[in-house]
Amino acid sequence: MVFPTDENVLIGLDRADDAGVYRITDDIALIQTVDFFTPIVDDPYWFGQIAAANALSDVYAMSGIPKTAMNLVAFPAEEMELTVLRQIIQGGIDKIREAGVVLIGGHSIVDKELKYGLSVTGIIHPAKVLAKKNLRPGDSLVLTKPLGTGIINTAIKAGLASAELTDRVTRLMAELNRDAARIMENFDVGACTDVTGFGLLGHLAEMVCGSGTSVRIESAKVPVIAEALEFANMGFVPAGAYKNKEFREKMTACAETVPRSLQDVLVDPQTSGGLLISVGGSQAASLACALQAGGIVDAAVIGEVTADPAEKISVV
Amino acid sequence: MSLKEIDARGLACPAPVLQTKAALQEEAWPRIKIVVDNAASQQNVQRFLESQGYRTTLEQSGEDYLVMGTCVSRPGEQPRMSPTLEAGAKKIMVLCATDRMGFGDDELGLKLMISFLRTIKEMGSDLWRLVFVNNGVKLTIDGSEVLADLKDYEKAGLKILVCGTCLTHFDLLERKQVGETTNMLDIVTAMQLADKVISI
Repeated sequence: MVFPTDENVLIGLDRADDAGVYRITDDIALIQTVDFFTPIVDDPYWFGQIAAANALSDVYAMSGIPKTAMNLVAFPAEEMELTVLRQIIQGGIDKIREAGVVLIGGHSIVDKELKYGLSVTGIIHPAKVLAKKNLRPGDSLVLTKPLGTGIINTAIKAGLASAELTDRVTRLMAELNRDAARIMENFDVGACTDVTGFGLLGHLAEMVCGSGTSVRIESAKVPVIAEALEFANMGFVPAGAYKNKEFREKMTACAETVPRSLQDVLVDPQTSGGLLISVGGSQAASLACALQAGGIVDAAVIGEVTADPAEKISVV
Repeated sequence: MSLKEIDARGLACPAPVLQTKAALQEEAWPRIKIVVDNAASQQNVQRFLESQGYRTTLEQSGEDYLVMGTCVSRPGEQPRMSPTLEAGAKKIMVLCATDRMGFGDDELGLKLMISFLRTIKEMGSDLWRLVFVNNGVKLTIDGSEVLADLKDYEKAGLKILVCGTCLTHFDLLERKQVGETTNMLDIVTAMQLADKVISI
């Protein structure tokens, strides 16, 4: 397929990244993204917050500053009370207000299944765009949020997660990646993406493909929601995790010593996951420290970029 | 040997695992067979059964994915719900400080107490500790009408604590038939750890 383009498209569909980037002047480029999904938590207000945090995340992952947002709503008006929709939108508004973003419009349709999300527009200096395809040998990889939300959400659906766990994971998903993005600006970051539906290894694979480098992940260092390992062992693994695993099987080599439940968590589809940052190796520890000091307490150095041109992911 | 069969075709995760779990809660089937229609559900059901003490084999015929499970835990040893299930449940502590429920008619109070102790199993895995103090310890000795029920609870994994000071006071230490003899520190710790304490 050939996409219409012009010389101001800095990042478009041909090298699909977290968001599209379009140059307006030599100093300013637009950064645009859209994301919406079906409810992942029961509480409409929190669903609104999570959907908004998730949509904003793509702008943060490219080091942009989100400015405006528009609502996208599909609502089963005949089956659901309008108050539900109001609470969802209130959640979204509160989250974008926290992000310093304004809501300037939107569109709603009647649909069988409830869906909510945002289109977000931000700005960025054209020279400062942080794409996902710029891994440098010697870089280290830093992850800012713990993994396992897909598995926990499956356990929540099954009615097996405690109220405390449900609350903890809901807050985690609603957390903006803004602070992580601001903190990483002060470091020598080569590439960044956010971890969502393809899981850690899936998004890592996107970074590795075409990079001419390989990566090595130390599984024991990956931040994980502890309960996700237990639920994985009991078979509460979402179908998406199996698909993610199969999709990237050929480029992934996992040591036999890595427990199966941890392998599942590494491919677990995340909702509004953390940033995956490739940073100059000598700065990795200080970036992790700065993130932790900034309240991103789970941030950790999880692996490194190697010069091996095979474009493989090895998990040890 | 009785074989439990579950057809979970057409169901998305986590429904096949939940159906399997419900079947095991209903009875500790020696053999169980689950049919699903995709590989992900097959693997999830396999892992659930293995976490519950079953040995499994997988088969595929056409569109159907099968999981066959054989219980390998020893006879008399119920497949325990894993720690996760317990952690997912609320931790309810029931403190029985009397062998009569409520005040007024003693005969009615005893009847109610017996009925109460037989009914609390409906709390399922939420019931975390059952503690007997003062006159309550008399429910744990030989001749107690609920002794068999309490023994069943204990066998199913419920921790029953019986106040040692109280048993000594009533000179019943030798006659206690169920539960662990305990002290006030353990009782206070259990109260602190519980999500909810129900006092009778």
